[in-house]
Amino acid sequence: MKTGIPTLDIAFVLNGVRVSATVEPRELLIDVLREKFELSGTKRSCDIGVCGACTVLIDGLPASSCSMIAADVDGREVLTIEGLGTPQGLDPIQQAFVAHGALQCGFCTPGMVLAVKGLLALNASPTEDEIRHFLRGNLCRCTGYVKIIEAVVDLAQRKHLG
Amino acid sequence: MDSAKHLHGRTEIRADYLDKVTGEAKFASDIVVPGMLHGRILRSTLPHARILAIDTSAALAMPGVVAVLTGADLAGINAHWGLYLRDRPVIAIDRVRYVGEPVAAVAAVDEFTAEEALDAIQVDYESLPFVTDAEEAMAPGAPILHEDMNKLKDFYFKGETKAVPGTNIFQHYQYENGDVDKAFAGAHRVFEDSFTFPMVFHYAMEPHVVVADFREDSIALWSCAQSPTAVQKVLSQLFEIPLAKIRVVTPFVGGGFGGKASVKIDPLVAALSRKAARPVRVCLSITESMLTCRRLSAHVNLKTAVSEQGELLAKSVRVVMNGGAYADTGPAVAIKSAIRAIGPYRIPNLRLESMAVYTNTVPGAAFRSIGGPQAVWATESQMDMIAEALHIDPVAFRLANMLDKGGLVRPDLRPLDVDMPEMLKSALRLMDAEAGSNARARGVAVAATDPGVLPVGGAIVRLKADASVLVLANTVEIGQGTHGVLRSVAARALSQPIERISVPAPDTDVSPYDWGTGASRSSVVIGLAVEEACADIARQVRELAADLYGGEPEAFLLADGGVVGPNGMVSIRELLHALNGVDSGEFIGIGRITPRSKQGAFARAPLFWETAVGVGEIEVDVDTGEVRLERYVSAADVGHVLNRKAAEGQDEGAAVQGLGHSLYEELVYEDGQPINASMIDYHVPAMDEAPHQFVTLLVESGDGPGPEGARGMGEGGILPVAPVIANALARRYGARIRDLPMTPEKVWRALNDAKKKGGK
Repeated sequence: MKTGIPTLDIAFVLNGVRVSATVEPRELLIDVLREKFELSGTKRSCDIGVCGACTVLIDGLPASSCSMIAADVDGREVLTIEGLGTPQGLDPIQQAFVAHGALQCGFCTPGMVLAVKGLLALNASPTEDEIRHFLRGNLCRCTGYVKIIEAVVDLAQRKHLG
Repeated sequence: MDSAKHLHGRTEIRADYLDKVTGEAKFASDIVVPGMLHGRILRSTLPHARILAIDTSAALAMPGVVAVLTGADLAGINAHWGLYLRDRPVIAIDRVRYVGEPVAAVAAVDEFTAEEALDAIQVDYESLPFVTDAEEAMAPGAPILHEDMNKLKDFYFKGETKAVPGTNIFQHYQYENGDVDKAFAGAHRVFEDSFTFPMVFHYAMEPHVVVADFREDSIALWSCAQSPTAVQKVLSQLFEIPLAKIRVVTPFVGGGFGGKASVKIDPLVAALSRKAARPVRVCLSITESMLTCRRLSAHVNLKTAVSEQGELLAKSVRVVMNGGAYADTGPAVAIKSAIRAIGPYRIPNLRLESMAVYTNTVPGAAFRSIGGPQAVWATESQMDMIAEALHIDPVAFRLANMLDKGGLVRPDLRPLDVDMPEMLKSALRLMDAEAGSNARARGVAVAATDPGVLPVGGAIVRLKADASVLVLANTVEIGQGTHGVLRSVAARALSQPIERISVPAPDTDVSPYDWGTGASRSSVVIGLAVEEACADIARQVRELAADLYGGEPEAFLLADGGVVGPNGMVSIRELLHALNGVDSGEFIGIGRITPRSKQGAFARAPLFWETAVGVGEIEVDVDTGEVRLERYVSAADVGHVLNRKAAEGQDEGAAVQGLGHSLYEELVYEDGQPINASMIDYHVPAMDEAPHQFVTLLVESGDGPGPEGARGMGEGGILPVAPVIANALARRYGARIRDLPMTPEKVWRALNDAKKKGGK
């Protein structure tokens, strides 16, 4: 819809590829990802940055794309779930979630997986308490977290051993 | 057998896992229909009011706005719908009954525009007296929400509600067995206690979402509905369009827990599409989902008579439930709550009464084990209180009164089909092993519930020329793993590797009628329908093979890729080639489950008992009143485990969801307004609040009614958590809490009261 609102041209790296977009100042990152780039793996739930479903990595750190202005990613690197792995070539985090059955409805899963990616980048072998603390911003209503914790502990121990 | 073992080993990896971890899975909220508009809803800001006027002209004049729907647009159609009572308008007509009720809906070219248009709509209200508390709503002089009780019979659940016209009581359920008054009069002790249970929000992480495409004589919907055929039925009656012209497709659904069961926003979105004459997508915000449905809050009063030896002699249960502004499935919730308050105990004299009451609050709805957590919270708390008063160990008290397998919870219900005493003892042994010498404050609770399973559903299975298999069913994949279960059932029944079995998204245009996804029924009812459809195919294949190659059909057996007979293997393609003259075609099998299935055995309710045992240990910060559930053992007899990780996950998820209403969750009303209806103010359990040790014990007695002796599961795990925590608090600290959630403030006060009384 033409609204007469001025637009901004932004350029950023999305899943390893340099992209550009014209956005309105009010547009949120989640909408630009889901609508302009048709990356529907990023999920919208609470809309206010408390549930973590919309988590993406910006310069390697988790961020809530529902509460972030799209224009703010200009010049930065954004990783969404689509950039992490494919059903044929899963990332180790995705493999661990599958192996442990650490998901049910799957709506929190993309954000959860990316938050784990962010955690392991900061701390390759977190303790269980560190895992629980870091991921408390990613809600899951299906699993009770038990198998998610198992999966991440497994990853952390592997990193530690490796 | 080697091949069976091979198949079995693979069933753990659900096909949906791969799509979901990579973000490729298409959820209901990801559906894009060409040409679709976006809808937003203007909601009532008042709890009870007459609508004097709605001015939509300014909104309609905005560029990009295509249509605005209000109650005035409903002239000429049957404007009201419901599941037990036809009490709910598609959109408010002349009156609103709760804060959040849809008053107007805008369809526009994008969500921004639709949202902005909402601000341009003027609604003039005249406030009416309101009531948000169930007891107050039953008092004389209370404002009446619905002057007429337009009842439906055998519409969604069997039977009809016992509404009391002229009051707000839309269900009044009563049951009596034995001579309760006489038993009370002659008892050693009679205990009377009251408990309350809050309104709880489902918080399925994906909000309610529907895309509707209303055409002149047909409707297509892509919906988050847990009960696609109920949506079909309601829409058909509202808009007078044949069932066969209403298509409901249900992609992956981001959680439901009952909040997407029966029918929710589908009629409104269909009506908006009708008005706009374009496909319309409405995706609620989570805050709006909180204003769409919630668990019925309850006030439970229990009167229990015991002998000197601690034998339960009689019990009287009275449940008053706050049903909100529209009945939805509240009448069933009230019945179940009364029955689920009995527990797995021998109680010779029993009186049950439950009421569901209209109030000016968000409509109550089904939520994981309908009525169960409310009832079990009360009953299992009181069991500990009685044991303490009689100086009996609470476990011994339970075991002394517990029904054995085959015992009758109620004479008119199917006998209890699990060994509860053994399950309780096993769970305690597991906890002892886990806790070792480091035992903390410990609580125990048990539950036996009668799932409201309507044994009505079907499946179609198609065995293709290349021995790939398509399983068509209307079972919704909502996270529980039902499609994985159906795949493994078909793989086993047709002796084909699971990789070749596909279960597409439910689509009422191609899949047979199924009552709905809920009440722990899909693995049993639709699992059996798939088994039956596969048996139908096996019969056709073997008869054809015998006909073509000679011998008896029994001499042929399905095997990976084909059928093995006396002269070796023939592929499915070769078989079809011989039949059809070209090497194409398929075998089609049909499976149907009805109350007449299994020689009529399915007619008796419940189809199976869903039971649960919880044993938990808590840690309490006595300075702040903060409680943590540290260790938890959850046990259930599921008959047979069809997918271990999915089954354990259901149990773990149910228990942690129960932790939510135990410690944190409550939708709070003040002055008619829900004051914490956002995820900032409403806290659900986060990862650091989950128990440090969680053990699931899945008992496999092998005698359930479902495939391989499975019984339904997934709901029971939510039941024991709250009384486990309360019982642990009372046993260790002498602090007895009767009102959920057990917030730090309530716990701190209870601890202080216990100290003052010179308790432990």
